[in-house]
Amino acid sequence: MRQGGLQWYIVRRLIYAVIIAFGVVTITFILLRLGPSSPADKYLANMSARTQDPAQVITAIEARYGLDKPIYQQYADYLINLARGDWGWSFSTSMPVMELIKKHWVYSFQLIFLSMVFSAVLGILIGVYSAIKQYTKTDYLATFFSFIGISIPNFWLGIMLILIFSVQLGWFKTYYDTGLPMFSLANLKALVLPVITLGTGMMAGYTRYARSATLENLRKDFVKTARAKGLPEWTVIGKHVFRNAILPIITIIMFDLSGVVFGGAYLTEIIFGIPGLGRISFNAIFANDYPLVVTITLIGAIVVLLTNLATDIVYTWLDPRIRYD
Amino acid sequence: MKIYVGFFILILAFTVGCASDQATEEPTPPAEIPTQEPQPQVRGIFLEGTAGGDAETLNWILAADASSHSYAGQAFDSLATYDNQWQVVLRHLAKPVEVSEDGLIYTITIRDDLRWSDGTKVTAEDYVYTLKNLMFSDWLNYPYKGDWQEEVNGETVFVEPEVLNETTFVIKRQTVHPEFMDDPIYSLTPYPKHIAVKYEGDVEAFTQAEEFNNLTYTGNLGPYRFKEWIRNDKYVVERNPDFYLGQEDGSPYFEEFVTKLFGTSAAALAALEAGDITYTGIEPEQVAKFKEMEEINVYTVPTRSYDLIVYNLRNNGWEGLRNKEVRQALSMSISKKEVIDSIRLGFGDPAFSFIPKPSPWFTEEGVPKFGYGSLYDKEAAKQMIYEAGYGVKKQDGTVEVQNKDGQPVILTLATTPGGGIAEDLAFLVKQELADIGIEVDIKLIPWPTLLRQYVMNKVSGTDQEPRYNNGPEAVSEEPWDMIIMVFNTHPIAPSGSSVFFGTDGGLNYWGYSNPKVDELFKKSRSKEALSEEVRKEIYGEISRIIADDQPVDFLTFPRSNHGFQANVEGIDVGMRLGWNYHKWHFAAP
Repeated sequence: MRQGGLQWYIVRRLIYAVIIAFGVVTITFILLRLGPSSPADKYLANMSARTQDPAQVITAIEARYGLDKPIYQQYADYLINLARGDWGWSFSTSMPVMELIKKHWVYSFQLIFLSMVFSAVLGILIGVYSAIKQYTKTDYLATFFSFIGISIPNFWLGIMLILIFSVQLGWFKTYYDTGLPMFSLANLKALVLPVITLGTGMMAGYTRYARSATLENLRKDFVKTARAKGLPEWTVIGKHVFRNAILPIITIIMFDLSGVVFGGAYLTEIIFGIPGLGRISFNAIFANDYPLVVTITLIGAIVVLLTNLATDIVYTWLDPRIRYD
Repeated sequence: MKIYVGFFILILAFTVGCASDQATEEPTPPAEIPTQEPQPQVRGIFLEGTAGGDAETLNWILAADASSHSYAGQAFDSLATYDNQWQVVLRHLAKPVEVSEDGLIYTITIRDDLRWSDGTKVTAEDYVYTLKNLMFSDWLNYPYKGDWQEEVNGETVFVEPEVLNETTFVIKRQTVHPEFMDDPIYSLTPYPKHIAVKYEGDVEAFTQAEEFNNLTYTGNLGPYRFKEWIRNDKYVVERNPDFYLGQEDGSPYFEEFVTKLFGTSAAALAALEAGDITYTGIEPEQVAKFKEMEEINVYTVPTRSYDLIVYNLRNNGWEGLRNKEVRQALSMSISKKEVIDSIRLGFGDPAFSFIPKPSPWFTEEGVPKFGYGSLYDKEAAKQMIYEAGYGVKKQDGTVEVQNKDGQPVILTLATTPGGGIAEDLAFLVKQELADIGIEVDIKLIPWPTLLRQYVMNKVSGTDQEPRYNNGPEAVSEEPWDMIIMVFNTHPIAPSGSSVFFGTDGGLNYWGYSNPKVDELFKKSRSKEALSEEVRKEIYGEISRIIADDQPVDFLTFPRSNHGFQANVEGIDVGMRLGWNYHKWHFAAP
């Protein structure tokens, strides 16, 4: 494949990404402002309002956050500040938006990363093995557990794991402790139950996909040819079957990755008290914390765009027949 | 702790933070007295688990949520607090507030050993500055500034604070308010003037000021000092060795006090059971289980909130609701005992007015108890509705409730979704009223929408800004008949409830009006009411009239349950559970 073709493709995709990100910011910004609720809602709910006029309170609170200006001016101010590297002030958490995200992204990332590794490695291995041993007891067992894994809701599994392994057996703490050093065995141990909770469903899915893709490739002519040439079975499976079967699974993994970054891990974060971006973004939406919501949406869009791009690049590496020129 | 639909009036800021003994007034016993309690040792970390929301800011003057006041309040006390008997306990006050004979001038003297973090003395000037330049200012818009305002000749004006000397200031009123001390003077706490002036007039700079957002100024004003706040995770304060009360008794006795946030109460309870946290609130259905655990102590205490059904008396509610007898009949059909037994699982007391039993102003004398005992009577209720013109008598003598045009009565009941107690109550009401032939259409509305479309109102066809009470002709955007709510009351200073039950009350969104009640609330803030006897009479009369008018159906005063690890000592169990929390300590191992 021509190297220049791939580079030009990446440049074009990055340009598209910038345009799409700009569109996402604009649409999110406008939709939030057009919505019926306001950051002043919480004041309306809690205000004693003895002699306070709610209308005045709304006006004053919106002025406090600069929401009293015309929407185009707010938008222009936002873009100008963004260009200066100022992502705004999160008024539901009282800290700069970017500082908040810098502090919290890692809690989500470590959970998602380990869950992806756990679910992808185990899921693919079990799936491939299940396909090779099609219609055996092992295959049926893997299929059975896959369906259970897909069916169990995260919040139920998480609470069950806590009750069994934390409350009854005392092996783990009931909640995630942010005070642990990031790169330590204690931190890894603290993540065991959250990773199983988040990863089980995904692992079960990958098992099914891997089994199906492997079965499809096992029947292909080039596999028969490889076997006819007398190649060892592990070479046939590893080099010819697996390499072809992995392509659609990579797409699904990347798709899942972009999905869990914001939102997908929310329930797991809730159950184990992990202060990740899922919880932050959920609370921001309910608090009408506009600067934070826009930034999180933007980051979510960027993650989706970059994972898609990464998927395409990985394709060229896994399958040299794929060209982008 | 379940939090659902609720207005929080009379918020006592820093409810957790207001804690200590009346150290300034206790004589120190001689050291050789053998009965003297040994001073507890400082040890361990107290971990409070909560499934509630995180705070929004430590810059408390900007906050509208209880968590923010609770977090910040751990780093500074207020002027005074109450114990479980609702006796005043001095905090930053050097002596009790002096009130002039005419009830218009309050002289406040603070302790002279209060210091900011930079060592400068906390002075009366700081308090007066906080009031005049921050709380009363237009640029900052303090959410509770209404507490410091009064009506004078039809105009709303602020009270007048004035410095007398370094530790003394006065607050002058033009109208008498016998409960002004209880609410809001005792909850007053200052900002350091020498820091705040840097940000004065610039709301953005004030909002983002590092000193206020990290509580770097709190000196010796509270038992703990800010250490760390990880949003949506935990808020950590550490022992303040300079704590002004600690100089005498060595308190506080925990090295750290951590508020850990859980996403669900189930997770917090699991953490308590596993011993991972020291304390959390316990849901009624879990109480029996935790009471059986040796290592957990469960305390059940009364609360100062009450749940109720609000009847819409405005023009977009069912016309029958504007008839007192119909309202009484509806309330007679909803069993308070059933609410307590089935929904509160026994943890509640029946409510018949807005004044709870622990209040000195509570009375049962002459207060009708609709929905309880002999006044829970569905047949009598049907008869009353029939007599009010909303029903027909069938041949067998039974009453069929219906509208005047012969159509069935269908009432809309709105409350918030979420599967909590409000929703359970809604279905119980539906079931109870079905027995008297009234259909209830339950609408589960998200809180912001409920506020804007059902609670706020305006006169149709005008350009009025929507408010909670825009006068007798105003109606909400959406029609409704009943809303389930939770209100708070101040057991010592219930006159604040005039916002709910006064004709012009800012939160009287259901349109209740009784001139006699208005007059009595007015009287509760008069010179005459400086006499406690008179005030008791006033509140007794208000309770009787409102209970008879039934503009709302008072349901229950819930009790809350609190689970502590058994090694926590020093807890004074009662309605003000945390009032002395700086004296809590772990038992010696």
